[in-house]
This record gives sequence, structure tokens and C-alpha cells, in this order.
Amino acid sequence: MLKARGERGCCDRCAGGTGTADAARVARRRLLKDAVFRPQAALLPEPNDWLGRDPGGAHAGVYAAASQPGDGAPQDPAPLPRAVTGTVLDVSPHVLMIGEPGGRPGSEQRFALTSDATTWRGTQLEPTELRQGDRVVVRLHPTRRGVADRIWANIGRVTGTIIEHTSDFMVVDEGVTRRRQIVVIPPRAAGRIQVRFPTLQPGYLIDIIGLRRPDALEGLIPATSQPAYPAGRLPEAPLVSGHVPDAISGSATWHEPAGEPPGVLGVAYPALDPATGCAEDAARGRPHGYARMPYLAVGSVLLVRNDCNGASCTLPVTGCAAVARLFNDRCVTCGTSPRGRVADLTEASFVALGGELDQGCFNATITIGR
Amino acid sequence: MPMIAMLREVQIPLLSAMLLGGCATKLARVIRVGSVDAGLGPTALFPMRLRRPVAMAMCALECGLGLGLIATAGQIGRGAPATCVRLGTGLLFLVATSALLELRTSRPDIGCGCFGDFSHSPVGWRTLIRSALLSLAALTTIGLSPVQPPHSKPTAALLLGMLALELVVIAGLSPELGEALVKLGYSEPCELRIVPTERTITALRRSKQWRRHAGLLTAEVPVDIWRELCWRYLVFPGRYGDREAEVVFAVFLRQRRPLIHAALVDAATGNAVQWPTAPNRPHWLSRPLAGRGHSAVPAAPTSADATLQARAWPPGQAFSEPGARVPRAAPRRSAAFY
Repeated sequence: MLKARGERGCCDRCAGGTGTADAARVARRRLLKDAVFRPQAALLPEPNDWLGRDPGGAHAGVYAAASQPGDGAPQDPAPLPRAVTGTVLDVSPHVLMIGEPGGRPGSEQRFALTSDATTWRGTQLEPTELRQGDRVVVRLHPTRRGVADRIWANIGRVTGTIIEHTSDFMVVDEGVTRRRQIVVIPPRAAGRIQVRFPTLQPGYLIDIIGLRRPDALEGLIPATSQPAYPAGRLPEAPLVSGHVPDAISGSATWHEPAGEPPGVLGVAYPALDPATGCAEDAARGRPHGYARMPYLAVGSVLLVRNDCNGASCTLPVTGCAAVARLFNDRCVTCGTSPRGRVADLTEASFVALGGELDQGCFNATITIGR
Repeated sequence: MPMIAMLREVQIPLLSAMLLGGCATKLARVIRVGSVDAGLGPTALFPMRLRRPVAMAMCALECGLGLGLIATAGQIGRGAPATCVRLGTGLLFLVATSALLELRTSRPDIGCGCFGDFSHSPVGWRTLIRSALLSLAALTTIGLSPVQPPHSKPTAALLLGMLALELVVIAGLSPELGEALVKLGYSEPCELRIVPTERTITALRRSKQWRRHAGLLTAEVPVDIWRELCWRYLVFPGRYGDREAEVVFAVFLRQRRPLIHAALVDAATGNAVQWPTAPNRPHWLSRPLAGRGHSAVPAAPTSADATLQARAWPPGQAFSEPGARVPRAAPRRSAAFY
């Protein structure tokens, strides 16, 4: 396969440790495309904000662009909730302080806690029950930026193919660019998970949300229903007639950051161009997923709309969603999505668009090239 | 012959065709996938260890009942055998209707699997009504006297008309029909077509755009390649005057004479700049890719090309291949997307 010069190695993706370098490539590609198709690309947002860097430096997560439901035009991101990630440094009945352990003085952030704020750490609890060292994702109040609206602590997710299953744990393969995950299912959650995942055998797919422990995920919530087929026997994808429409509706899920900068805004897309030599394609031997999606590349821009609440956001493609495309599930958060997974969002993007991390998905419509 | 009796007679070939068709498509799927347990449909309601035997039993039952309906339609199986087969068919469709209702509630994401690979769509009201109607049709055949050949041409025509009408109704209630029609006349959209990078580069090197701008390039290997929908973008390093530049080609992904756009971009700022008027072309840029079996590229631009080269283009404005049909850059059709 012919390779372009530069650092495109085994996989054309941004999810590795070279986030900044890839962000530069994303921005560069958009500039170059703009140069070729200036009239068509004039509406793209500014290219330097997808890493989640707040121009003001106040918060770790910001919107790249936002729009009101239905109009598609970039708007002030203020009406949309914002996502902040960090580690709990201190919590009191009225204030949550987060930052990074060992961070420079003054880098911590404080958020007011109201009686409406809800917190999740395996189950619903009071914000004061958070502990120092908990890794949290905070969604801020839509209108009051200093107020925490929703907090998820130590939440994690494992999506992949079961490699090994013993009585104590499961080993799950999340794709060749991520390390294998260990999932432990406690007895109190076993029944609930087995209803949705009846076949916990090697070769079958699993998608579980739970509490992130240092060496394993404590699986608590089934994020979807298990596909009836093993990962190696993906059913033939339905054929697509005519041209692919710009807007594609389906399910939007989220993934844990693996080497991505904290609070990064972006989307892993299930159909990157096979010619880019994506490592996941080479390993799995098939360029198509279950849902036939138009081919894009890292740096392509998607307008992702949460169909459940109308929030939308312009996000860059930052990597392959190699495992997400193996699922032929539907999201039933608000009605049944017409097809499976069309976008695998970063935590910050998912929360910022109004998704509930513990639900696993929301019905979404993606528009390509906006 | 009364109309009701004729209508009852028509059900037997119809039910038989549906059962045998369902069995055949399921078998085709098993042969293609190489496994019984990867099937879709109500078998997903069963525990894993039961799915394979249930799927095999369903297939065998459909085949047996389909053949049985034909075998007992005449004088051979009249009486109890015919009644058993028809009652069994009615019960099968009744159970199927109930299972589909349950499937729609508990697993709204999967198809009914009635016709193997064609039944991917989630179970909807059409599938449910079809199953219920087939159940009713089977139950109406219980007690029917042995089927006789039609005595006159008008009777035969009426029977055929009834059969055709019922087939139309069944087709209208079958989401599988749409998928089958798509497979028959399928042409992969360019957005989904896998096109190797080598083919794109070959097409680019044969183009007038390449010959026109090759003099600006300083390397034959692109520094970046990416694809978006039907376009592949290739970025080559270059120089204009004393400044570093990049030449961006956008190639439309189609087999013959692809449309190509190009832009000259300042390497430092990323801004589009004006094309120089008469670029020189190093000889190595006109060669095909070494060792890749590509045919030779025309060596020199034509007089028409020279005329075009002399034109000064405003910053950012793209050339396009003269004479090439312009495809829609961003298709905006509302077509059936499975």
C-alpha cells in the first residue's frame, strides 16, 4: 500500500499519544480542503478548538461549535451544557473542587453544588459522598457555568469481543490500538447483565458500563443488548441504494479516553477509508461494518445532533470506531434508532451533547461535511 | 365453484410457496455464514444452547409443511393427513405471530429472520400482519375438499387472478421485497466504494491537472492523503518563487476520467495563493509509478494546455478538468439508505 510521507503509520487515527500533532493535521486538512473547495467549506468552524482547550483557559472541555436545533448554523455555545473532567480534590455540601493531582497551584476548578445536582458512582448518590481521588465527568448547568448539574464518578465502559471468560473475570479485546480490558461482574449485577448479554462466551460481543477500578472494570450496567452473532460472523450488511444522504440517523455511543487528551471533543467514526491502512482493518480483515457508512478520514467534520434533546455540535473525526461497527444494535433512549452505531463520541462530547453516560447511548443524526 | 371455495383453494400453493421460500433462504444463509446459530429472528429469544436446535427445527418444519401442503392437496392425502398438515401450518403461523410480537417488545433491534438475509429490518406492523394473515389463510383450508384442476378457462383465469391479487397483498406486507429489489439492481455508491490509493494516484498522474502543475512539485510522494465521501485529497510539497508551498489535488473517485481540482497553498500559512503562470515540469514527474505496472503518462502538454497554463487564477480558485462531467460535490438526494 502506498504511504504518504510523514507519521502515518499503522493506523490513521488521533487517539494515540500524539494528540497535539494529530490536532494540527486535522486543522491542516480542513484548511487544505477549504483551499480546494472554498465555497463549500466556508462554513467550517475554527480549527483549533477540538482538543477541548478553552480559549479562556477556564475549563478543560468546551464546544467546538454549537447550534440550535434545526438551523444548522453555528451559534453561541452558551445554551448548551459543558463538560469538564478531572479528579476530585475536595468536596463540601456546597462546592466541588476538581483538578489534577500534583497540578500547578491555581489550576483547580470549583463548582457550586445545588440540591438539583445528581451524582452517579455505580448508583445514584449525594454529591457529598464523592471521595478525594474520584475521577469525575461534570456536566455544568446550561445557564449557570459555575454550577455542576450532573456528575459521574469513576465511570468506565468496556466495548469489545470477549477473549476469555472465567468464573471471576472476563478479558475483552477492544481493538488492536487499545489494551485488553478485564471486566469483573459482581454477583449483584450478574442477573441484570445476563438478561441482556446471555452469551458470555469467547468470540461474542459485550458492552458494559461500570466503575473503573485501577486494574479492571466492575461491570454494573449492560449498555445494549448483545448481538446474536459472534464478532467473527458479522451478518452481511444491508446494501445501500442510490447515493448516501448527508444526514444519517442511528445510535451515538461513548468511549473512555485511551491516550486522548482529557476533555477532548471528537468522534470515532466507524468507516474510515480502508486505504489509510487502519490497524483495526488489517487485524480484523474486513473494511465494512454492519452499517454501511460513507468513508471519511481523520479530520473530517461531522455535525452530531442529539435527537432526544435537539442539541447539536460540530465535531472532528479523531479515530476509528472499529468495535462499534461490529454492533447491529439500536439505541432506544428516545424511540428506536433506525440503524446501529454511527458515532462513538468521546466522554466530553457525549456529555456536552446532553447524553447520560450511564445510559450508554442516545439517538443521533450525523451530518457529514458541515 | 363458489368464490369462497376458490379463495380457499388458492391458499394452498401460496402457503406452500411461502414456507418453502422461507426454508430455502434460511438454508442459503446457513450455507453462506457457515453456522446455524448466527441466525436472526425469534431464535434470539431462546437461550444460547437452544438456538441451534430451534433454528434447525423451524427450518425442517417449514420444509415439511410446505411439501406436505402440496402432497395432501389432491386425492392422495385427503382426510386426516391433509387436516393435520393444514392445522399444523395454521398453528405455526399463529405461534410465529406471537413470537414476533414478543420479539418486537424484547428485541426491537433485530429482524424477523423469516427469509434469511432479506429479513434484516426490525419487526414492524407489516411483518406482524403478514404472519397473522398467513395463519388465517392456513386455518381456512382445514376441511377443504381435494383440489381439482379448473374445469374451464374462465375459472382458471379467476383462480390465477385471485392468486396474483393475494401475492400483491403479501408483497405489500413484506419488507423483504425492498431489500431483494435493491440487491437485484445494485450499484455501489461512490461514498461506499473501496478505491485503492494507487488507482487514485495513477488517475491523477494521467490528468491534465497533474501535467499543468507538476513543475511546482518538489517530490513525487504525497505528504498527506485522505478521503472524504467521493473525493480523495493528495497533498504534494512544492515551491513557488522562493517560498515553500503545497499543491493539493482533490480527485473524484470514479473509474474513468475523474474530475480533479487543484489548489496551491502557502506551506507556512495554509492560505491559497495565486498559481504561477508557466510552471516547468521536471522529467521524473511525468513517469508512472515505478514497478507498479502503470502505463506511460503523456509527456508534454498540448497547445490547449499551454493556453490554459497561461491563465492566471485567483487565489483559492480551483482548476477543473476541461470536458469532464461535473459530478455533484455533495450529493443531497434522499434515497433509500437501507
